[in-house]
Amino acid sequence: MLVIRPLQPRDLDDLYAMAQNAGKGLTTLPADRALLQRKIDLAQDTFSQRCAPEAGLYLFALEDTDRKRTVGISGIQARVGLDEVFYNYRLSVTVNASRELGVHVQTPTLHLSNDMTDTSEICSLLLSDDYQGGGNGLLLSRCRFMYLDEFRSHFSDKVFAEMRGVSDAQGRSPLWDALGSQFFDMEFSKADTLSGLGNKSFIAELMPKYPIYVSMLPEAAQAVIGQVHDNTVPALKMLQSEGFNFNGLVDIFDGGPVVEAFLKDIRTVRESVTRYVMVTRTPLDPDVPASERVMVANRSFRDFRVTTLPASCVGPETVSMPPEVADTLLLQSGDSVRLAPLKAGALWPIHPYKAHEKNSGRGS
Amino acid sequence: MWLVRPAAPDDLEAILTIAGAQGARLSSTLPKQSEALAQKIDHSVASFSGQVDPEQAPRFLFVLQNADTGEVCGTAGVDARAGNGQPFYNYRRDALIHASHELGVSRRVEVLYPSHGLTDQSLLCSFAIQPELRGTDAFELLSRARILFIAQHRQWFSSRMVVEIQGVQEDDGSVPFWDSLGRHFFNMDFQTADQYSGLLSKTFIAELMPPNPIYVTLLSPAAQAALGQPHRLTQANYELLLREGFQAGAYLDIFDAGPVLEARTDCLKTLVTSQRKVLHASHRDTGDTCLIAAGEGLDFRCALTPVQDTLDDQLQVPVRTWQLLGRSAGDTVRIAPL
Repeated sequence: MLVIRPLQPRDLDDLYAMAQNAGKGLTTLPADRALLQRKIDLAQDTFSQRCAPEAGLYLFALEDTDRKRTVGISGIQARVGLDEVFYNYRLSVTVNASRELGVHVQTPTLHLSNDMTDTSEICSLLLSDDYQGGGNGLLLSRCRFMYLDEFRSHFSDKVFAEMRGVSDAQGRSPLWDALGSQFFDMEFSKADTLSGLGNKSFIAELMPKYPIYVSMLPEAAQAVIGQVHDNTVPALKMLQSEGFNFNGLVDIFDGGPVVEAFLKDIRTVRESVTRYVMVTRTPLDPDVPASERVMVANRSFRDFRVTTLPASCVGPETVSMPPEVADTLLLQSGDSVRLAPLKAGALWPIHPYKAHEKNSGRGS
Repeated sequence: MWLVRPAAPDDLEAILTIAGAQGARLSSTLPKQSEALAQKIDHSVASFSGQVDPEQAPRFLFVLQNADTGEVCGTAGVDARAGNGQPFYNYRRDALIHASHELGVSRRVEVLYPSHGLTDQSLLCSFAIQPELRGTDAFELLSRARILFIAQHRQWFSSRMVVEIQGVQEDDGSVPFWDSLGRHFFNMDFQTADQYSGLLSKTFIAELMPPNPIYVTLLSPAAQAALGQPHRLTQANYELLLREGFQAGAYLDIFDAGPVLEARTDCLKTLVTSQRKVLHASHRDTGDTCLIAAGEGLDFRCALTPVQDTLDDQLQVPVRTWQLLGRSAGDTVRIAPL
């Protein structure tokens, strides 16, 4: 069984192996044991509420319980930009117009901004290659919306994600070569690594503060502003289907887009419902496709668990599950759980009349 | 003999011909359109007559005339107030240090800031001369006559002088700095923009330029190399102005990045070395050649003349020079060494 749970100290080795295989571009999860250890410690402090709410880093592990192996990670940063300065470029437009001259020129312009400051970020998504497909990526990503929904007061109204921008197989970024490297004499891959190690705002302080007229950049650099890396296209599509949209901000290094959504508008949040657990002996059909599965989350802040069940388990008042699932989710009959479809456009809502009451049972 | 005098409405065609031979130059204050030039001459005549008060920005236009043939061979101007009551645009080349103590790096970043800092300083401008006269005594006369005019009418001018030198332009007419910057915002080449600039005010064109500072490192290599470099055809003029005491500072032309030279008016060499003398006759046509100027306003004349030894404040020059200047014995004139 694949289950989402808070990251734990014993995940370090699996995490390190995954980060090593991930290569460049995942700045929030570099292959650095000491740094990963610090992240695990911070996640522990966050779930046990030993750190300030705005400093929280909620990291979730996807565990294959049969093989006792951590196969994926995803996270929520409670707030960005409160400790160090969080930079983006805002892609806006400068218009030069003169009726007399017959001139009307639109120039895309990058303005350095700190607009995402104090906003919650979903981040750090990484899934082992062996586990790609079958809805595992969806579970790993969307479990975060279940958590955000459940504990809204800990997060901002708006949630965003930075998408990895374009770089080639050698790790060269056209935008970095045209812009960043002119101000900070370093290869993209190295700057990217430094960012991951927590030096991003230091580097950003060396970057140009005045607006950059995009038309003055080489065409290769212009072409990648707001574009995602090929490997990130599925993740972007997934977030778009959840209601995330490009908000006009791009990464200052590689030009990757920032997508955002108001928490209340995220599809998983809109469609989530609560039910009571009914533990039954009925065996589960393991072959139900992702489109007919639902995410089931216990409602625990500290010991959050999510897994998937066939949609057929969901009744008007209850959701039935076998004892081993209930045990894994730390649930007993009568406990309340939160449900949402794993995949967009699935058979949902099930028993719609119940969906209207979803807010009545909301916890904390 | 050569004579510099205020431009008159009759000089229109001659000036148009000289201006037309100049090639594209956006920062030029010399219109290539007949109507605009006629207006400029009228305004100049009014300025020389003292009918334009300083608030309305007097602008003076001179011509270089071959006194023997009457042919007008060059023109030059002075604007009492750069910008003529409107903002005068330049880029100011400056630097920022982008440093990070944590990362142990420090980098000098060059930036071009849009600036109005030179607005209202007095501006030498509109210089154009027949190509074959470039670098001759007549060339020097045309350029420096303006400074003698300023010396004669010091109260009309500000304490600082500036002059914009034409920047780098390729043989095909393209301007590297424009192609790397201005073109993106006008969507037209330099020649086309130049044609518009004669019809519209420079301020109007300048206002279409990007308002934010420009990072030098993001310009094309050719544009970076052109920053502050004079066009090779302006070399003679450039060197003359340097000898006059002008210096290249931090300012650049916003269209072609040519250098803007600056000087303190009261430190200009011609002004400092010029002397007021009383005119006397000389029967000989020999002696050191000097610039000689006389007359107020529209009567201002400046010429080259051989000068005999002078005693005290008396000056002996040939009678022919008197006639050119429209002066006679006992009148006060101003001379400066060539």
